[in-house]
Amino acid sequence: MEKNFIEIENLSYAYDEDEGDKVPVLNGISLNISKGEYVAVLGHNGSGKSTLAKLLNMILTPTSGKIIVDGVDITSDELTEDAMFELRKKVVMVFQNPDNQLVATIVEEDVAFGPENLGYPSEEIRKRVDEALRTVGMSEYAHHEPHRLSGGQKQRIAIAGIIAMSPECIIFDESTSMLDPSGRKDVLNTMEKLNKEKGITVVTITHYMNEAAQADRVVVIDDGRILMDGTPAEIFSKPDVLRNAGLDVPQCSAIVEELKKLGVPLDGDCYSTELCAELICNYLTNVQGL
Amino acid sequence: MTKIKLENISYVYSPGTPYEVTALNDVSVDITEGTITGIIGHTGSGKSTLVQLLNGLEKPSSGRVLVDGTDIWEKPKEISKVRFKVGLVMQYPEYQLFEETIKEDIAFGPRNMGLDEAEIEERIALASSFVGLDEELLEKSPFDLSGGQKRRAAIAGIIAMKPDVLVLDEPAAGLDPLGRDEIFKSIVKYRNETGATVVIVSHSMEDMARLCDELIVMAHSKVVMQGNCREVFSNAGELEKIGLSIPQVTKLMMLLKEKGVCVDGGVYTVKDAVSELAKLFKIDH
Repeated sequence: MEKNFIEIENLSYAYDEDEGDKVPVLNGISLNISKGEYVAVLGHNGSGKSTLAKLLNMILTPTSGKIIVDGVDITSDELTEDAMFELRKKVVMVFQNPDNQLVATIVEEDVAFGPENLGYPSEEIRKRVDEALRTVGMSEYAHHEPHRLSGGQKQRIAIAGIIAMSPECIIFDESTSMLDPSGRKDVLNTMEKLNKEKGITVVTITHYMNEAAQADRVVVIDDGRILMDGTPAEIFSKPDVLRNAGLDVPQCSAIVEELKKLGVPLDGDCYSTELCAELICNYLTNVQGL
Repeated sequence: MTKIKLENISYVYSPGTPYEVTALNDVSVDITEGTITGIIGHTGSGKSTLVQLLNGLEKPSSGRVLVDGTDIWEKPKEISKVRFKVGLVMQYPEYQLFEETIKEDIAFGPRNMGLDEAEIEERIALASSFVGLDEELLEKSPFDLSGGQKRRAAIAGIIAMKPDVLVLDEPAAGLDPLGRDEIFKSIVKYRNETGATVVIVSHSMEDMARLCDELIVMAHSKVVMQGNCREVFSNAGELEKIGLSIPQVTKLMMLLKEKGVCVDGGVYTVKDAVSELAKLFKIDH
């Protein structure tokens, strides 16, 4: 792995309540993310995962602790506006609601909004917009009106608008939760493509297990702390911990868990349909000789 | 017995303009009394339009909506009575809370029904207990509640009208597993204790498999399938073609069958899959 792209050191955040009360949301989180990693952050509502995303994108500033992005302390008081501008180009966010992220009346103008603001010459903008739309598979919609697209298509336009700014890291904050199954699949495929083909660091914040299963690494947050950090296989082999953290267990893992309780000695990864079917078939051939 | 009957319903948005869109095209469906019926379909398939027809929020361009055998548009001036009988919880209903306290918000429906104050108090207590809202929350402002609590308060506002039919458009969208389970628990409880008919729209096949007695599948403004979960989820190929999926359990069982393992491919809940596989492993279950 390359050097750390994001270093989070002992990060805490508390919201202000009425009468000066503080409500702690994050309690001393430390986490390193390398360049090119694909990380899923799992947690129930109120676990602190969205607050973490907002801190990473400087929408919020921490109560204590530090975040270093690409060697720059983004939580420092001395951070200049220019430096902040540079950082916001490097780390960008895709939000939950596709309707809240589109600004223009024509798809390609919407995608051009970011690079225009960054002051690129018009030929460069043209090139970036075309390339970005191609990456998300929406080229044929360049002249359509965004509000007539489906949720999944809108989300992909929002992503295209972000890629056009060539960021190094994209944070997806529950970006598939309002989409139908095919829209979700399209956005998930786009995430994977951006990571594997373009080398963009992807951090996806979610409570969907299948989304986390697709990542290289899963970080589970509960009660403002990191509960688990590992590969999907490691995380999903602990169904009880997931349930206690208010999360689901993939149905396949739940089936294997129940069968084990009934005395079937199944041992191996089983969080995806394919892995689970393989595990069961191998058991049948080896043990029962069927 | 049929509770709701849709007869040859068509619905066209902005007819006669360049923006004319047919949202429903000659749809006929029966919904049985006392069932939990799920409606699934890709975005834009017409699901939300269909549920908005059930309580007379939208009027069909052609065709009839029958509730208990009566055309709801027979006396258009009495359409509000239909809205008390068929309660509709729209998508993200928490955005529609508008009163100063949760209690007043829940009281809005019953008050419109012309009930007396004592009856309204009773309804508030009943509805908030159904959705599991603590009494202390009732005096709070909607701004002081979490997303999941606000969602439950909004649903309580509909339940307080004691509708015969409870219609919910994506009641769990955006909630985490715990919030989702709580909402579903209160919906099932409402059906079991009152015998009401429930209609739910959702994108989660796993949730639908767990909850529903019947499923209606929509695609491109039409109903393309109707049946119980087993019948519907056995058409995996067909569902994928129209942008839907099947529960992971069903996928697993079908994959095992493909690999030559002798299992029932139509299983759609974790519990049934475990018994099916236990049989295979020759374990008493």
